[in-house]
Amino acid sequence: MGIKWYRIVFKALGIALIAFIIFGPLSSLVLWSIAIKWYWPHVLPQEVGLAYWKQALGLQRDWAIAAVSIWDAFKASIIIACIATGITMIVSIPAAYALARLRLPLKVLFLLFFLMPKVFPQQPIFVNLLPIFTRWGLAGTVQGVILVHILVCLLFGVWISTSAFKAIPESLEEAARSVGATAWQTFWRILMPLAMPGLLVSAIFVLVTSLTEFTGTFFIGLPFVTTLPMLLYSASGYNMQFASVLAIVLLVPSLLLMVLTERIFRPEFLGAVGR
Amino acid sequence: MLPFSKLMRNGQLVAKASLGGGASKLLPFLLLLPALVFIAVLYIYPLVRSIWGSFSVGAQSLSLGNYAKAWALYKKDIIFTIIVAVLGTILSVAVGLILACYVRLSISRASRFVNFVSRLTIFLPYVIVGQMMNSFLAPHGLLNVILANLGVVNLNNPLQFFNIRGLLLGFLWKEAPFIAFLTLSSLQVIDNSYLEAARSVGAKTRHIILYILIPMIKPAVAMAAVLTFCTIISTFTLPYMLVTESPTMVTVDIAHRVTYFRDYGVANALGVCLYLLAAPMAVYYLRRTVREEIYGY
Repeated sequence: MGIKWYRIVFKALGIALIAFIIFGPLSSLVLWSIAIKWYWPHVLPQEVGLAYWKQALGLQRDWAIAAVSIWDAFKASIIIACIATGITMIVSIPAAYALARLRLPLKVLFLLFFLMPKVFPQQPIFVNLLPIFTRWGLAGTVQGVILVHILVCLLFGVWISTSAFKAIPESLEEAARSVGATAWQTFWRILMPLAMPGLLVSAIFVLVTSLTEFTGTFFIGLPFVTTLPMLLYSASGYNMQFASVLAIVLLVPSLLLMVLTERIFRPEFLGAVGR
Repeated sequence: MLPFSKLMRNGQLVAKASLGGGASKLLPFLLLLPALVFIAVLYIYPLVRSIWGSFSVGAQSLSLGNYAKAWALYKKDIIFTIIVAVLGTILSVAVGLILACYVRLSISRASRFVNFVSRLTIFLPYVIVGQMMNSFLAPHGLLNVILANLGVVNLNNPLQFFNIRGLLLGFLWKEAPFIAFLTLSSLQVIDNSYLEAARSVGAKTRHIILYILIPMIKPAVAMAAVLTFCTIISTFTLPYMLVTESPTMVTVDIAHRVTYFRDYGVANALGVCLYLLAAPMAVYYLRRTVREEIYGY
């Protein structure tokens, strides 16, 4: 029986270690966001309160608390994300349909086009977009940031939508066609309703990607376009409390995405998320 | 008339539901066109520009001056980036595989918990990870303070993490669960009879993991490792927010070169170095993905 006892302790320690590694950094965020006074060597803050939260959410104004209202950045983030998601999906859905269903000469070439940005570093691209956008008058503007977000999001939009279409058996369309439906009717009445949950996941994924996008906005948007990640970055060096509040606010869309994918993701789509 | 072999795919007769009969040859291109325009203008154009720019110094094109300067100034950082990417990939793959095998082999509340929390980290962006590690790993941050209270660390001389250690921890935090997630779906497909057969002839858990599970999911592991390597060398956010000491990642140098010196030549030379580092991995990934997309295996 000695072996079993040893095993249980070993396993418990392992799980505790995993939990600490995953939750340690997260709890550090939560603690800092409510810490008013926290000096080492104390493990927990000496004084806690919601002052930074209230100030960040615009509920109070106190010069002693180093935080600004996040609503402007929040609005900017939401507007940019919604427009970027709308355009990305409008462009992605037809492309995904073509990739999933239609006979394409030179298909390899098109696939490479849509896969390359995933594996090759994107940061040098953003750096080179800066002078291009400056020439076009887009640097430091909301439009420029939206364009960069579309670039980042397009991959997810196209690939997750492609797997959404692919997950639907072709036999259903063939059946509709064989009883006399036109291609157009088949697309709108058979394929689209069936693909909708997958396309919705794709859109949500794109929305969250845009809301949390950092690198592209950093090069194209700064210092004139302030989204939530930019505000977080500008606070992260010197203002632990405010930065932590912002990080937790930014965490919400990602958590939502996690819950939603658990609910409506079918295993077929999971492959596309990894890409 | 198409030859019969072209109509057959995977033994099934392919009956394409093409929109609008005769004009259907152009249709796929029309549907792809908007997305292609975006990629061409926003990705291919700056990509070509960055490669071209790396070879031009002043008015002179086709010079290697930028590369010489980049190597002279940032040799240490290029090597540092390779070390971080290799170590980070190895660590993440090892931890990720342990997590995945544990979730696959054990049916308990604990394994479901591990499965759940590791999904959590996949969806968090690096900007949050950066801020989190910033506060957790600070010289007098939570980790050091906890270790000090356990008597492991002296707070007058705390553990320093704003260097390769913090980077590796940050990448591990995010990439190991991702690898577990990618490999777990392949692990779930493996039939239990293999494991039962191995157990019945006396195989221990570690034997099952090393000699049955991992060999059977090798392609998924390779894919996950390749993606992790590419992610680590391309990530700008985490090193930019975390590393304060001298050897840092190449992406940070590129940003410095551009924001402080407007020196696109050297920045682009460094960018091309990153492309070259990613190239072998990218070729592997692209070949496999394209093959899967077209032939289905």
